[in-house]
Amino acid sequence: MRDGRAELMADGASELFGENKLSKPVESLSEAEHYEISALEEKLRSCVGAKAGPFLAWDSVNRAMIRHWCEAMGDKNPVYSDPAVAAPMGAPAGAVIAPPTMMQAWTMTGFGAQHPPGSDTREQNPAMPYLKEYGYLAVVATDCEQEYMLPICEGDDINSRSTIESVSGRKTTALGVGYFVTQLTEYRNQHDEVVGTMRFRILKYTPAVPL
Amino acid sequence: MKDIEFTSVRVGDRLPELCIDITAKLITGAAIASRDYQNVHHDQDTARDLGSPNIFMNILTTNGFVGRYVTDWAGPSGILKKVSIRLGAPNYPGDAMVMSGEVVGKNDTDQSVELNVTGKNAIGDHVKGNVVVLLR
Repeated sequence: MRDGRAELMADGASELFGENKLSKPVESLSEAEHYEISALEEKLRSCVGAKAGPFLAWDSVNRAMIRHWCEAMGDKNPVYSDPAVAAPMGAPAGAVIAPPTMMQAWTMTGFGAQHPPGSDTREQNPAMPYLKEYGYLAVVATDCEQEYMLPICEGDDINSRSTIESVSGRKTTALGVGYFVTQLTEYRNQHDEVVGTMRFRILKYTPAVPL
Repeated sequence: MKDIEFTSVRVGDRLPELCIDITAKLITGAAIASRDYQNVHHDQDTARDLGSPNIFMNILTTNGFVGRYVTDWAGPSGILKKVSIRLGAPNYPGDAMVMSGEVVGKNDTDQSVELNVTGKNAIGDHVKGNVVVLLR
């Protein structure tokens, strides 16, 4: 890990994804590169405000997936495993409550990278194909802000709807050059009640070390 | 697990530290448990090709650990209302993350407590978080 890249990461450790950490002057870009960047940025601007969804969940909220999550996280909270403890916390009779932080997992595409039938067929994040097309192949999530309105309980069917809130300008970060894309997602249950919201920010980038 | 009483909590209270060993098993196992099949969380060669020295922990797992860390302290009656995190230094296999937390606010109206949580690894701060939990 003590190669040049690790050093570079260590330098930016507290704000690894911070902006303009290793700023390469934009002036060093060729005219063709400038042209390409403005073409991409025009497409990215068109994505701001774009809505997508609903995206459905492959599985209803269930005890097996909750247990797998809790095992991995070492979370022994009995609310997630014992209906008797979950009941006074708002769970229906016989049901457990899912960890609130697991909210996002329910509507993930999973192994097949596909949303279940009945979901919106549009891109969940329409900025991503453009960024990929222009060579920004790597992705990391940088920020996640979740708020929880209602407990998510065993038996619930969760769906999500997303809006692209913002796309940053072209940023040079410790990881490489790229764009931050922020999406706001609302999660609802089968009663169309909002169970929670999530603001999620990713960096789509070209690694500082060439591919 | 015992419930913590709202009235017993003071701004400035520190949570007991929690050390999480970061292993390839944890990174891949928790990524799959969170339904995240991005290759950088299980495939070392692809992670390297994409400019990372190794596979690294996904954000859903970090979020899960921050939530668990706070509810371990709050007890089963604690209700998470908000978990807001920013990632920094990645969690790579072979490292360890030490989680610490501090009560930074109390709201008597809804009996909520606001905490700042940090997860530190050998490289630096993996995560900085802000959490709101309702106590009984």
